[in-house]
Amino acid sequence: MLDSEKKELMIQTLKNKVDKQILYYLDICARCAICRDACHQYKITKDPKYIPAYRAELIRRLYKKYFSVLGRMFPNIYEAKEVDDEFLLSELYQVAYACTGCRRCMYYCPFSIDTLQILSVAKAILLSAGMGNQILQELSDAAIAKGENIGIFKDIFVKMLKESEPEIREKIKDKNAEIPIDKKNADVLYVALSGMHSILPAAIIFNKAKINWTLSMFEAENYGYFLGDSEKAKTIADRIVKEAERLNVKEVVITECGHAYRVINFFYEAWTGQAPPFKVTALIDAISRYAKEGLIEVNKNSSSEIVTYHDPCQVGRNAGFFDEPRYLINSITDNFRELTPNRTKSWCCGGGGGLVAIPEMDEFRIKTGEIKANQIKEVQAGIVISTCENCRLQINSLNERYELNIKVKSMMEFVAENLKV
Amino acid sequence: MNMDPFSFIVAILVYVAVLVFISGMTFKIIVWARSPGMKINLGMYPKPKNGFIRFFKILKDSFIFPQTLEVDRWMWVFAMLFHFALFVALFGHFRLVKEFTFVSNVIGIDNLNTLGAVGGGTVGITMLIALVYYLFRRFASPYKDISVPEDFLLILLLLGIAGLGVHMRFFGTVHTEDYREYFQSIMRFKPAFNKALAQSQTRWVLSWHVLFVNLFVIYFPFSKLVHVIGTFFTNKIRSE
Ligand code: SF4
Ligand code: SF4
Repeated sequence: MLDSEKKELMIQTLKNKVDKQILYYLDICARCAICRDACHQYKITKDPKYIPAYRAELIRRLYKKYFSVLGRMFPNIYEAKEVDDEFLLSELYQVAYACTGCRRCMYYCPFSIDTLQILSVAKAILLSAGMGNQILQELSDAAIAKGENIGIFKDIFVKMLKESEPEIREKIKDKNAEIPIDKKNADVLYVALSGMHSILPAAIIFNKAKINWTLSMFEAENYGYFLGDSEKAKTIADRIVKEAERLNVKEVVITECGHAYRVINFFYEAWTGQAPPFKVTALIDAISRYAKEGLIEVNKNSSSEIVTYHDPCQVGRNAGFFDEPRYLINSITDNFRELTPNRTKSWCCGGGGGLVAIPEMDEFRIKTGEIKANQIKEVQAGIVISTCENCRLQINSLNERYELNIKVKSMMEFVAENLKV
Repeated sequence: MNMDPFSFIVAILVYVAVLVFISGMTFKIIVWARSPGMKINLGMYPKPKNGFIRFFKILKDSFIFPQTLEVDRWMWVFAMLFHFALFVALFGHFRLVKEFTFVSNVIGIDNLNTLGAVGGGTVGITMLIALVYYLFRRFASPYKDISVPEDFLLILLLLGIAGLGVHMRFFGTVHTEDYREYFQSIMRFKPAFNKALAQSQTRWVLSWHVLFVNLFVIYFPFSKLVHVIGTFFTNKIRSE
């Protein structure tokens, strides 16, 4: 592609991506920098480019250049920049792919400016320039390839599942317990992650609760979403939607993975223009419902170990599950201690936005996770529960680096361990 | 016409400013309204339970933004002081449109004048202090890294407006009635100074004050100051 064509494409992308919401944000930010210390990445690094408003400002500079009369006449007043400005693009790349999408900045901004949304424009522009993140690109392509060649994966997958069934039967003393896949007309399609750690505990709970369920052949995580490529993200999500439609299930339960639930429950509709034709539930919601309805029962744990809960940004602030995890933890232990701040003000662990999957970000994410590490130290927790896979991976890294001496668990794991059989 | 050319031009500019402001704001709102809508609601949880609660939450978030207090206390304090003072100052200027007879009838004209002097002076100084804070904050790191010339321009304009306003409050011999005559002459499309103003040096202060206001008002619809309206829309997005 010619440079001039590429530039034109980038400008068009910018134009297409600016919807009402983003236009408001571009027009009204006062650059008051109140959002400054809301972002863990700025708070730890003290690098101005990580101030949420600065990240958004990069997009504003491009927007002023092409789509505002005053910006075109007096670019200097707004520091407006050409879309192929190399320094700007390199900063844009760094800050867009560093953002964990926690939206803590939005919580504190007096105008509730959603920096994550503005950075989705940034990612689209970078992609149109061929500057998307390589790793995320490869992971997305692999997921899409798997969707197209599911036959190859199926046999290995089924074998792996069969091998784990005895463990479930043993655990809940039920000879008929199983991990069904491809089961037509099941009530629930459970979408896990790759790895038995996200399948086994859930399988134990579903079997114990006597749910008519089936396991999805696909993983819930969606690297296309982190990449910022809505076409790829849609294709990846479509694998699950198609499977659910084919099996005619009533409800799709997404495992404890923050962005995966939001992708199917919110973004899928934005990308395709229609809501999926089934109910979408987060696993944490399903488990707490089963417990409340008496389908499963838990034992009160007698250990004196302190248990704490990390509110994943995508599960709490961005999806609304605050009480469910607390209800479950409190029914298992008397030693629950809250981190401060928590719930809607919870600090990001530092691992969101796909950061845990990008090796070059390792040092950065572990460094910027220091706030979370200190919070955990403060409550002297022995067990940290979190309902998001990215958070758990990150908190495990923090555990090593900051010597927290903790065990990191998912809620399904904690519930399965303490299930009354 | 007993106006010097400069003051006359400034007075004529008032009409331009009003026109630009009204059409600019209309333009802005049309552009906003016609922009492609958002496809989904991506608000922040916990969300208000019903429309009634949401309505009050949007008002609270827009006027008080309590969460800001926790993360940046001084900015919140000065932003509150500034906006409140600005609002009171603006309201005070309605005395120039029509005397506040509903007040003077109760407390007497002398008391109203004293109230105006003390109150006006206080809000003017408050604005100046807040603006100086705004300005120095922008010079400090890391704020200077995210500031663009537009930010300084607006603060300087406001400093000019408030500074000259305060000057008229505290110095000179021109009275409210004289300013009212000036203001009303503009409203009648016959801009003129009365004798008191024409003979006083304060007319320069007045004209510069009005000039800065004109520039400010002309720039307003095209600047980040549209947050005055936009904040309601974006805070609505937060709650949906
Ligand atoms: S707090 Fe909001 S308005 Fe202020 S600089 Fe940050 S994003 Fe802009
Ligand atoms: S969403 Fe989170 S990581 Fe991204 S800019 Fe805002 S506070 Fe920082």
